[in-house]
Amino acid sequence: MNYLAFVVRRLISLIPVLFGISLLVFFMIHLVPGDPAVTLLGSHATTSAVAELHKQLGLDHPIWRQYLTFLNHLLHGNLGESYQYKSSVTSLISQNLLPTVWLIVAGVILAVLISVPLAVWAASRRNRLADSAIRTIPLVGLGMPAFWLGIMLILLLSLKAGAFPASGFGTGTLNHVRSIILPGLTVALALVPILVRSLRASLINVLQSDYIVTARSKGLGVPRVVLGHALRNAAISSVTVLGVNIAYLIGSTLVVEKVFALNGVGFLMITAIFNRDFPIVQGVTLLFAIMVVAVNLLTDISHAALDPRVRLS
Amino acid sequence: MADNNNDDGSIDRLAVMAEYEVSRRTMLRAGVLGAGGLGLSALLAACGTNNGSSTSKSSASTSTGKAKHGGNLILARAQDAVDMDKTMVFSNASIWVYVQIYETLTTGSKDGRSVEPWLATSWTQSADKLSWTFKLRPDIKFSDGTPMTSADVKFSLDQASSTKGGWEFINSAIASVTAPDPQTVVVKTKYPWAPLLADLACPSNGIIPNNYGGKSKTQFYNAPVGTGPFKWSSWQKGSKLTLTKNTNYWRAGLPYLDSVAWQVVPDDNTRNVMIQGNTAQINENPPLATVAQLESASGVTVTLFPSTRTDYILMNEKFAPFADVHVRRAISYAIDRESLVKTVLFGHSTVANSLFMPTVPYYDKNTPGQTFDMSKAKAELAQSKYQQGFSCTYLASSGDSTDSAIAQVLQASLKQLGINMKITNSDPSAVHDLQNKLQYEISHSYWTMDIADPDELVQFAVLPEGGGHSFETNYNDPQAQAVAKQAEQTFDPVQRQKLYTQLQTMLAESAFLPALFYQPLPYAMRSNVKGFFVAPTGLYDMGVVSMA
Repeated sequence: MNYLAFVVRRLISLIPVLFGISLLVFFMIHLVPGDPAVTLLGSHATTSAVAELHKQLGLDHPIWRQYLTFLNHLLHGNLGESYQYKSSVTSLISQNLLPTVWLIVAGVILAVLISVPLAVWAASRRNRLADSAIRTIPLVGLGMPAFWLGIMLILLLSLKAGAFPASGFGTGTLNHVRSIILPGLTVALALVPILVRSLRASLINVLQSDYIVTARSKGLGVPRVVLGHALRNAAISSVTVLGVNIAYLIGSTLVVEKVFALNGVGFLMITAIFNRDFPIVQGVTLLFAIMVVAVNLLTDISHAALDPRVRLS
Repeated sequence: MADNNNDDGSIDRLAVMAEYEVSRRTMLRAGVLGAGGLGLSALLAACGTNNGSSTSKSSASTSTGKAKHGGNLILARAQDAVDMDKTMVFSNASIWVYVQIYETLTTGSKDGRSVEPWLATSWTQSADKLSWTFKLRPDIKFSDGTPMTSADVKFSLDQASSTKGGWEFINSAIASVTAPDPQTVVVKTKYPWAPLLADLACPSNGIIPNNYGGKSKTQFYNAPVGTGPFKWSSWQKGSKLTLTKNTNYWRAGLPYLDSVAWQVVPDDNTRNVMIQGNTAQINENPPLATVAQLESASGVTVTLFPSTRTDYILMNEKFAPFADVHVRRAISYAIDRESLVKTVLFGHSTVANSLFMPTVPYYDKNTPGQTFDMSKAKAELAQSKYQQGFSCTYLASSGDSTDSAIAQVLQASLKQLGINMKITNSDPSAVHDLQNKLQYEISHSYWTMDIADPDELVQFAVLPEGGGHSFETNYNDPQAQAVAKQAEQTFDPVQRQKLYTQLQTMLAESAFLPALFYQPLPYAMRSNVKGFFVAPTGLYDMGVVSMA
């Protein structure tokens, strides 16, 4: 199993994916009605001012030429300049990337920390009260919109208990950790029901297999059998479920970012869409695409690590 | 002019509007996507302890007693600033920040209805009314310690006049600026120009160092320098912009605060929570829907500052029925503005009678704007070519609750006239674009002023040279244009008032843009914040703000 060759091959296959995405994003955003110059000028959008801004922003060229310019810059590692902020998209993204990455990582870690014990407990108490409770109660988390859940967490754990900051990202690692727990929890609580159900189902499946029966008959205790033998095998399908959900999460952290004033790339992206700030939209979309591909790659690698029979090819 | 309201309800200057609107819209959208409803706010408020808090409804409290020096104030807002280039940026969120850095020769008075000296202490006008001589305040330094002279003023005004695609229209009457000696500036106009003093108070005419202090334009605006109470410190774009005290400031003893930070908190509920928890001291533009709840939170004061915002209905006269004045008047009579204010704005606005706002010079409270009267509406429609009614489509901004409420109220009223109005939704950027291209039939928008002179509004609303298609309505009335031009060149206030009274009446009777209501600018702040005051143009001076 040659991880390096595998990773390199996957990275190369990323190039056509990114090219396709850039093409789609570029033409879709230009097809949507709305004009960046009119948006920038607001009520002062006179015909001559709009024409002048089009010239300054390069929007007066035919669209194919604008795309070629964009591609050319991209090949030089330049994502262009924001129409609104007048600064480079690369620097805007790097200023705002940290909270988003922290949020996704914190959400996933918390989701795993909550889901694994619950799933193990539910599987080992199959069809008993604990199992039913674990299968139904987390569904509430799935049904609660993130903005509601987030505000409730702020009210209870931040304003009332004072345990965590209500919003923002703080400065310094320690404050980042404190600031990210509530938003991370908000993200995690939406993932937990999915993870618990999938892990519980595969655990139950594995627990019925012959090697588990053998292990039990050899006299191994339940904890040892479940944690030492069953969990690793049962986790394989859940890792895939988690991977798919993380990929989905990358595009949907916006709401949580907004409620907790984290000001990550999700928020940057939405603002840019509404203002028709095309360079930012294109830059962030490409970034998201890279993140999704990277998560898929990590999923495959951990899949292989968990199951030696899987070949990376 | 797009409309946007919900979010911040804000207001402000005109141009500002533009971008700012954008921003606002942006927020709106974001609001739509995610966050929160009124129910939440109510809940939040209910969680605050309920000891009475003082709420002043209109004018701000000026500081009483001795103000304390020191403190770092955080102002939470929905939108980030975008750029510090005073000649190009229309975003209010940017302008409200950079007016703490750049100051102007003149400034608008607190009530918005006159112009006062600022960096210039006095001025005289030549007999031909074409030349204005300004004396500069002595001993003014930029925050980097260099003295400000007339050369800096000339450079700043010239830059503001020569920009393209920005604020240059404000200076369109200026022929030249000269600096005969270090303390004197002479401004010559192309024709007699009454709004000049108000124009010089426009933030785009803020004073910056000559030749950008030796830097390139881009370098300069990345870390701008001015004479104002605060100086540039840091900006994490999309997140937080911080200014610190200018120790060279000319107003003795000011500013009080060590620093001011504008923190971007897009979610309305989160901003309200931050004020209640004192992690921010000022909340810029809480939604009007949450004002009552914020007022009941302890330690929080809510102030509704009168603004220059007027909301109105847009009717595209390229759509045949709206070219008929009787149809427009019928629609204007059919709008129940009182109940709109009550239901849509929670009573926090006043019904409009004129396109001019009460906070703008030459507003006439006797302008005979249409008030709700269904029988008059029916009578007007009977005089038109469309007695049987017609069908039209209202272009609404998705996610803007004020806009959709206006659309629904209007739809119900017009039905009684036999006018079948459909409502379509687009996102705010698209709405703005369609309005700008005159590709709509009926819609809603608003305007705010940047200067203390009605001419800015009149240029865009009435004069075709402005290029704004009369607020995207294609209204074209040579008589109104003649009056508007005469007012621009009339210096006698009594004469000018007469002309603007006449103009307001003509505009109201033409019903080309039925005015709906005047919205205030809401701000929530901690009770220990003293001296915070927002002028009708939306500008505030952080130099006089202190924290007890």
